[in-house]
Amino acid sequence: MLRNLLLAFTLAKRDLKERYVGMNFGEFWYLISPIIMIFIYTVIFSNFMKMKLNIVQSQYAYSIYLVPGLLAWSSFSTLLNKTAMVFLEKAELLKKINIPAYSFMISVLIVEFLLSLISMGLGVVFLLLIGYHVGFEFLYLIPVMVLQSLFGFFLGVLFALFVPFFKDLKEIIPIFLQLWFWITPIVYIKEMIYDKFPYVVDYNPAYFFINFYQNIFLYSKIYSLKPIFYLFLITISLGFLSIYLYKKMTPAIKDII
Amino acid sequence: MKALLEVRDLTKVFKIYENSFDRLKEIFTKKSYHKEFTANKNITFSLFEKETLGIVGLNGAGKSTLLKLIAGVLEPTSGEIVRRGRVTALLELGTGFNPELSGRENIFLNATLIGMSSHEIKRKIDKIIQFSELEEYINEPLHTYSSGMKMRLAFSIAIFSEPEILIVDEALAVGDAHFQQKCTRALKRRKEKAMGIIYVSHDLNSLKILCDRMLLLHKGEIIKEGSPEEVINSYNFLIAKMNEKEEKKILKKENSYGTFDAKIEEVKLIGEKSKSDVISSGEIAKIFVKIRAYKDIKEVTVGIAIRDKFAQDIFGTNTYYHDICIDLKKDREYICIFNMKMNIGVGKYTITAALHTNENHIENCFHWIDNASEFEVAGFFGKPFIGICRLEPKIEIRELTYE
Repeated sequence: MLRNLLLAFTLAKRDLKERYVGMNFGEFWYLISPIIMIFIYTVIFSNFMKMKLNIVQSQYAYSIYLVPGLLAWSSFSTLLNKTAMVFLEKAELLKKINIPAYSFMISVLIVEFLLSLISMGLGVVFLLLIGYHVGFEFLYLIPVMVLQSLFGFFLGVLFALFVPFFKDLKEIIPIFLQLWFWITPIVYIKEMIYDKFPYVVDYNPAYFFINFYQNIFLYSKIYSLKPIFYLFLITISLGFLSIYLYKKMTPAIKDII
Repeated sequence: MKALLEVRDLTKVFKIYENSFDRLKEIFTKKSYHKEFTANKNITFSLFEKETLGIVGLNGAGKSTLLKLIAGVLEPTSGEIVRRGRVTALLELGTGFNPELSGRENIFLNATLIGMSSHEIKRKIDKIIQFSELEEYINEPLHTYSSGMKMRLAFSIAIFSEPEILIVDEALAVGDAHFQQKCTRALKRRKEKAMGIIYVSHDLNSLKILCDRMLLLHKGEIIKEGSPEEVINSYNFLIAKMNEKEEKKILKKENSYGTFDAKIEEVKLIGEKSKSDVISSGEIAKIFVKIRAYKDIKEVTVGIAIRDKFAQDIFGTNTYYHDICIDLKKDREYICIFNMKMNIGVGKYTITAALHTNENHIENCFHWIDNASEFEVAGFFGKPFIGICRLEPKIEIRELTYE
């Protein structure tokens, strides 16, 4: 058990090293995609399209709203999708070497968590660059990001267990994530849909953490810890469920991959 | 002697489903949706220290499943496997290599995957590189390597992972002769340091040389356990029985020609001891040529030629050289038997047979058939030798004295 966890760390280290091997900018690429994302939304929405939110006084108000949600969502969906694909992508290895699949899954978790910290950090740098307020409340981001990663991870494990049985899930998961993205108030604001579809907001675990980030970015405030507590409960139950199913289903999965 | 591996009453049943949804339903409900296929049944054996255990069996006998169970890649349906030490399987040669990374970084990657700690890898990396003889290229990316070089790297990592139990699955068949010999020597040295090896191969000759003890798997069960000699004989017998069932018909159009006034119906070789077409070098064997005549023909010569895998003639003779001629009568069948001591080297051979008149087939050729049948020479009766022919030397050696 301990050996396999250590292995997960080694694999994560290798993965980070390997990912951009042979490319000229190497590790620099970790930073590129979040920077580009922030840049596009800032320039296009704030400067060209002059989109303004009336919630805070800043010409970048919409970007400030958009950036934490987008960054968090992109980390969350990447983690979920990559975890879900472990049995498919590592099939060749799992067929030949006695390494439990969870080593690979945990290595995905470690890598994606670190990358999400980096990209959220860049989000904070963006706030500093536009001269917006950044306070100690921002430290609360870290425990919630841990929780968010675990939530995405366990959900990913749950999907992963079913992928070998339904290969179609490989195509379905990204579509599902895309739909989930658009029903979550990330690019639009909650008030635009709350009257018509309150449940989309109230029962959406992704919105629990995304709203938390948005509040910290915009107002440096934590309005309520309740959603985070719910997210915690959901994550714990998902954790138990996925571990139970993992144990039950892996022998059969080994037979078919 | 200490048993490194104990396999007790191991059974592996694969469930066959019509679709994966049925498989999933069965995990969560009590109902059964499957048909069963038993790949391994009640297998019990041990692997001891300093021992090489060979496993043979026909295709589909359950060898690969057994190896995967031992390696832990598959879970047994019932039974128990006790492993005392690290198991490394050479069926995983080069698993997880990344072509973009250098040879050196790939050593770290692959070695991690087969269970070495980074401390252990750092300690051994120079030895691994040295053994692989890839010093000059070790910092080049792996995609610049030839397949032989990759194999050398992979094998070097495996051998230095110093497993207690090593599984070798035909992996030694790759690479050049020099490196193969180096591998064999390295395996022997490791074996002396209390490693156990499980060796699976179809190459009967190497099995005979390398193994201390062997198992014969058939339809998922161990049907014979014992010395390589005994087990290989049973295996040959099994193959022979199977061939009888198949009743190999020759007379394929592509490889035969002639006037067909008389036809060769069947050609086969049977060893006196092995009773099959796998024989030992030096064993007496009979080559049967069955003939059917469609016309009355006088003074027919029956000829055979034995060729090796490079289509080189190893030996050929005919009845004419032995002053034997036969007159064939219409619609009758004949059998011509060549009784020979097979003093040829190990390997696979084919038999070509011909019916003609006089010394050769240039004048009247009734039927010439290339590669009518195959046989294999594995292992030796008497003294082993190198090459394709046994010259039976008498050796004298004495001290030279000058007066």
